[in-house]
Amino acid sequence: MIEHLPVLLVVLPIVGGTVPLVASLFTDRAGWLVATVTVLVHAALAGLLGWTVWTEGSVSYAVGGFAAPYGIELVVDGLSASVVVLISAVALGVLAYARHAGPHSNAFYSQFLLLVTGLTGMTVTGDVFNLYVFLEITGLAAYGLVASGREASSAVAALKYLIIGTVGASLYLLGVGYALAATGTLNMADLADKLATATGGYDSTLVLTAFGLMVGGLTVKVALFPLHTWQPDAYANAPDSVSAFISALVSTVSAYALARLLFSVFTVDFLEAVPGARWALLALASVSIVAGSALAVSQTNVQRMLAYSSVSQFGLVIAGFTIATPIAVVGATVHLLGHAVMKGGLFAASGIIERETGATTIGGYAGMAARTPVAAGAFAVLALAMVGVPPAVGFLGKWYIVVGAVEAGLWPVVAVLLASTLLTLAYFARLVERLYFAEPTIREDAAVADGGEGTDGSRSSSGYRPDGGASVSTGMIAVVVLAAVLAVALTAAVPALEQLLEQTLPPLLNQ
Amino acid sequence: MSVDDQPGLYVESTIIMTTVRVVAPFVLTFALFIMFHGADSPGGGFQGGVIAGSVVMMLAFAYGIESTRQWLDVRVVVALAAGGVLTFASIGLGTIVLGGQFLQYTEYEVFLSHASKYGIELVELGIGGIVASVAIGLFFLLAAGFGHVVDEEGEA
Repeated sequence: MIEHLPVLLVVLPIVGGTVPLVASLFTDRAGWLVATVTVLVHAALAGLLGWTVWTEGSVSYAVGGFAAPYGIELVVDGLSASVVVLISAVALGVLAYARHAGPHSNAFYSQFLLLVTGLTGMTVTGDVFNLYVFLEITGLAAYGLVASGREASSAVAALKYLIIGTVGASLYLLGVGYALAATGTLNMADLADKLATATGGYDSTLVLTAFGLMVGGLTVKVALFPLHTWQPDAYANAPDSVSAFISALVSTVSAYALARLLFSVFTVDFLEAVPGARWALLALASVSIVAGSALAVSQTNVQRMLAYSSVSQFGLVIAGFTIATPIAVVGATVHLLGHAVMKGGLFAASGIIERETGATTIGGYAGMAARTPVAAGAFAVLALAMVGVPPAVGFLGKWYIVVGAVEAGLWPVVAVLLASTLLTLAYFARLVERLYFAEPTIREDAAVADGGEGTDGSRSSSGYRPDGGASVSTGMIAVVVLAAVLAVALTAAVPALEQLLEQTLPPLLNQ
Repeated sequence: MSVDDQPGLYVESTIIMTTVRVVAPFVLTFALFIMFHGADSPGGGFQGGVIAGSVVMMLAFAYGIESTRQWLDVRVVVALAAGGVLTFASIGLGTIVLGGQFLQYTEYEVFLSHASKYGIELVELGIGGIVASVAIGLFFLLAAGFGHVVDEEGEA
């Protein structure tokens, strides 16, 4: 049973995903229950897998009994185990949020479970082509989820996401093709060995092309600066539950896949042998940090601001992985996991604030703390955690990355990292200041007009809107508060994570 | 202009109906032929599934989209999609129950000679069912035009 955990984690949600489809013949409200039961079992299995990796080290699994270089291998080490646990935890949180916030259709929950399948598959796989397959499953489910919004703008955003995302995945596949041509293998561990001894070594044009295409394709999915254009539209136009889910997980798992590529396929030796590749990726990450922050500062819509903030934060994570000293990798992992919790929480909180007050813009947030004290409080805590105020997990991640950059002597990167904290402060401090210390620009009755709904003009903060349910449930509030608590409490888990990574990653970080 | 604005789009044609009636069984057979060839030659569930789905599209062109939609019960489409996934998963999980790895077809050899081949072909049939049902579902969704409640199939 224990040894089958990696494959069961992938099979379980896809089997669960068919149940709402069948159930829709009899009832149209079974989806949530099925998804919750499935994700609860998924979480239990993920926890068991995490425990196994913690006590016994990395787990590998040969699908179909075909031995590693020929068959598909699933490999779970400390890094992938923590990402799998994160996927389960965030999926549970989003389900608690979506129970009231919707969408409620069975098709939505089928796609939700399909997305969980894709994300888990990307995380546990040890095969670069298998990674592509799960990348596509993740992508297709995410496009469908973005399109599940009621407005036409969701459909447009989903179409844009589909076109750009498919280009990214295709670039990655092309890169896999070149890597296969160079080495004749698709298994990650085998590739790492054979790339080193490929004709011409790391410097050969074939290997460099494979690296460029694979990394380039994944940076589209991560949404680094010049390739991020799908992301703000997708996050801002999707339903709140979907925004919280994909902002927390889709780019996160893509960034994990990029890290996996850097450490398990091309390895740190490649980055050292080809400084050009390393500097190119560092430059891309640095540009992303600065440009993402600058774009975030210039937004008026809060959800678009949060989306551009992700562009900047993922620049930080990729910079940490590319620096590739052990401490920077720990920092990047901490920030990767922490960012998922914080950004998912921020999107969920912005959804609650919109429902309770009708505020969607930075101007509209003025003085809203008095109207939605809990959601605004959680929003403020999460925003400060993202900036990197000390007790929060955002601080430790950024600190480790900076220490790693200093150790590696990459001073321009250090300057960008420090500047990024100030820039993050620039857009979040402005928002928190508005929330608490500005005069409201939306009055109780004006909120109805701003929300664009309601006909009697008397929707109070706990008002109920029969068409979409603008009210807020305890579950939604609890999720946001839990995210805020975790943003601080996860700091305590960092030493354990550090130990886990040191136990399972030393072959990858042989410095 | 969507299809339902202009019911006159469909023109009943004896030539098309007769041709489709003659050709459809052969196309469906060819689809199964392609699916069964997934194990040991080019072909497989994806290609065969699309061909099987195209049979329904031919019927829709010959006999009208609405009447084909009514003739083809939505339960059939859902059963093909869900049944395909469940077939694949149960074959894979069955080998775990028998003590092997996921999808280790050789575990079935005790019950049946050449079990690997039959196992792969059953999986290909499952994939074919999924692909055919998604192709059919997407066709009917697109034909229904924008603005309909689209909850029956989604994007699988």
